[in-house]
Amino acid sequence: MSLPVLVVGGGPAGLSASRALAAAGQSVVLVEKEDRLGGAPILSGYAKLVPSGEWAKDAIGGMVDQVEAHKLIAAQTGITVKGFSGKPGAFKAVLSNGKTIKASAAILTTGFTHFDSVNKPEWGFGTYPDVVTTTQIEQMLSSGAGIKCPSDGREPERVAILLCVGSRDRQIGRTWCSKICCTVSANIAMEIREALPKCNVYIYYMDIRTFGLYEDRYYWESQEKHKVKYIKARIAEVTSDGKRLIVKGEDTLVKRPITIPFDMVVHAIGMDPNVDNMTLSAIFDVKLQEHGFIGRGLAYSAIAETSRPGVFVAGAATGPETIDDSIAQGQAAAMSAIALARQGTLETAK
Amino acid sequence: MPIHEKSLIRSEDLITHEELVLDGVDVSGHWSTFIENRAVTDYNEAMEDEISALPGGEFIHRCWQCGSCTNACTVNAINPDFNPRFWIYLIRTGMEEELLRDKDIIWQCVSCNKCTYACPRDVNPEGVMKATAHWLELKGHTEKKPSMIFDEEFTEQIVTTGKIEDGRVLRRFFAKTGQPLFQEWLVALVRSLVFRLPIGLLTKMGLATLFHPRTRGWSRSRAAMEEYIAERETENRKALGLESKS
Repeated sequence: MSLPVLVVGGGPAGLSASRALAAAGQSVVLVEKEDRLGGAPILSGYAKLVPSGEWAKDAIGGMVDQVEAHKLIAAQTGITVKGFSGKPGAFKAVLSNGKTIKASAAILTTGFTHFDSVNKPEWGFGTYPDVVTTTQIEQMLSSGAGIKCPSDGREPERVAILLCVGSRDRQIGRTWCSKICCTVSANIAMEIREALPKCNVYIYYMDIRTFGLYEDRYYWESQEKHKVKYIKARIAEVTSDGKRLIVKGEDTLVKRPITIPFDMVVHAIGMDPNVDNMTLSAIFDVKLQEHGFIGRGLAYSAIAETSRPGVFVAGAATGPETIDDSIAQGQAAAMSAIALARQGTLETAK
Repeated sequence: MPIHEKSLIRSEDLITHEELVLDGVDVSGHWSTFIENRAVTDYNEAMEDEISALPGGEFIHRCWQCGSCTNACTVNAINPDFNPRFWIYLIRTGMEEELLRDKDIIWQCVSCNKCTYACPRDVNPEGVMKATAHWLELKGHTEKKPSMIFDEEFTEQIVTTGKIEDGRVLRRFFAKTGQPLFQEWLVALVRSLVFRLPIGLLTKMGLATLFHPRTRGWSRSRAAMEEYIAERETENRKALGLESKS
């Protein structure tokens, strides 16, 4: 019997890697630092997922159930890895509960951290209660509480969504595009329009990057069916006149300054590298790439490699990633890990 | 400080008080010139709804401002101020005053429909131009152009008789626009017709001028057309929040 594969992180990528390994008869130890599995979609209370339209608690919750029920997967929550040594096929991991486990390979599915909007103080988050993040809107939708202004509980009549909050911004050292926020924002805008038909939604953008098949299903549909309005402007500041929020900027298409009142402003927050990445890098001896995400190894001749042989990576740990792609990458990483775990136990062909 | 480069600022945005005293200091004349704030302070959300309710404007909300319409535009090639892309944006964000600045050129669309075939989102910009011109007129922003009066006379004659009698259209058009009937070119035209046309045809024309013949069995077509026109008119006025005409 080969040694188990260590999967670090119980989000979509980790759940999918664990499930794939177990399906192939490979034992897995899954460690998750939070007290429950599911990752960002569950822990941050996402509503309906893009593009399936399924509720996160059903879709990702269903994966959690599968993983928890599988006898080949030993899932441990509230646990982190403190030490990691050895070589491919024979690693040793020291856990935060003092236990040591042996593993044939490790898969880092450690995910990302939501950008903290406080780092863009000019856009009012933390100053005005009605400035919220996309994550908060997801929670309003998933909890059933509905879209309401946090300040006084009223239903907003006009909502602004600001794109690229924490993305594509050299001022805060985040030069990457977080990839999913345009699509998520279009989706949220449609949900707001459906829930509150009298509420107009404006999206302030620099570019719209609803890549691939998201173009017509999210960007076009939000405009054509839900009449969401897109204004090409990067907002300068969000203030308040005491009653409503005031959004200031330049409407680039008419070359005129704008100071428009809004009831609610939503920050489409980006994906930061996991705040623990420096620690993870030191413990697992894997290199981080230039933005602080976990670096990949060879792109074409190997699957899901990091800079250290036997340690693989999948999902948003490597950079902004969609949930569906994270799940696919988890399965790919499982392929690499299982090949290593079975070395010696399987006859190699040729 | 007086403003030197006034030519760079729209004249209506410059405010000068003939006589003004501030804190005991006389700042009359150009010393008190101020520039009006250009900031857009709100969106007029009714405007897009109104224009999209008029025939042709239905798909205005699809626009993503790529400029394909303006690039394809026949009129834009002659007059760079004729910019459908820009007007669609002004309508969608409700910048009414900005749109009204161009009210005297918006109607100049020649309906060549090059934009219609260039538009990647099927906005139908030609229809939007038509709807916008109509909106400007219904809202009372533009006077009736002579061409509009001509069209009305033309249409009315078709609806009532099912036929066009050119002489009558011309006479009524001149009367409505206060132009003399005996215009030099017209007199010359009629004179050469009288001398050159066969007697039979001339007689027919003369009778048509006197008796206003109708297409046989026209009354039902007329009723249907009138009903549709009235229905459309009522709907358009309702969409713009205007009182019904009848």
